[in-house]
Amino acid sequence: MDVMEILQKQFQESAEKLQTTQKDYSKTLSDRQTLDSQLNENRQVKEELDLATGDSKVYKLIGPALVQQDLDEAKTNVEKRISYITGELKRKEDMLKDMDKKQDEAREKMQEIQIQLQKLQQAPN
Amino acid sequence: MAAVKSQSSLTQQSGMQAVDLTKLNLMQLTQFKQGLDTDLQFYQESLQNLKLAQSKFQESGDSLSRMNSDSEGANVLVPLTGSMYVPGKLTNPGKVVVDIGTGYYVEKSSKDAQDYFNRKVKYVTENMERVQAIGNEKAKIRELVMDVMQDKLKAQFSQQADAAAKSS
Repeated sequence: MDVMEILQKQFQESAEKLQTTQKDYSKTLSDRQTLDSQLNENRQVKEELDLATGDSKVYKLIGPALVQQDLDEAKTNVEKRISYITGELKRKEDMLKDMDKKQDEAREKMQEIQIQLQKLQQAPN
Repeated sequence: MAAVKSQSSLTQQSGMQAVDLTKLNLMQLTQFKQGLDTDLQFYQESLQNLKLAQSKFQESGDSLSRMNSDSEGANVLVPLTGSMYVPGKLTNPGKVVVDIGTGYYVEKSSKDAQDYFNRKVKYVTENMERVQAIGNEKAKIRELVMDVMQDKLKAQFSQQADAAAKSS
């Protein structure tokens, strides 16, 4: 039955699309979690730097060497990193919301086609 | 007991609606339980990692407390590689350089460094308690789900037994 074949092909395509959206969603989710933990770490570093007095030396690990840094410079760098990560985090969260919607749409579409297929299979020839 | 549990509704974290367990069929319950199992496993792992971090900070604090101003000029063995040490003398035990994360190191007095480690141990311990609490909640929910599943299975079997008895 031609209609049957077309519907089955559509069903397969929609199933694949759902899989792709789910994969993208998982990847974005794990990116978001990484960013979250980086944000936390940087926040803690900032707290410690704030606690450090002006005369305590600050070093940064650059490759295998500890290089002395200016306290204020270090604070500024960490703050910049924090605002960058916060921006990226918000971007990922917006993407996630979007992908969630796309996933639902893909799922609905797949179910619609499935229902059509079932109707066809039950209809007498 | 079954009556109380059949009215159990679970209000999950924000973003999800309350779910009445008995309204779900066996397959959905199984899926739900599997999700809970994965969550619980994740919490176990997190707890282990936190415990590791806690013991590392504790160790640092302990080592530091053993190094006080009396140890000025004490003989030490300095590791140059994983298997090679070089004899040396301890100078300036009043100051230490502490790794505060993301590649930054700060020179602190022994006292401040000790404070730092105590703070970190406290922070990690607090997080461990939080994870523990959430883990226990999920474990309770999992128990509930399994009970409802058992009830449903029993109901299904008795239905099938009735049907078989009627048809024979």
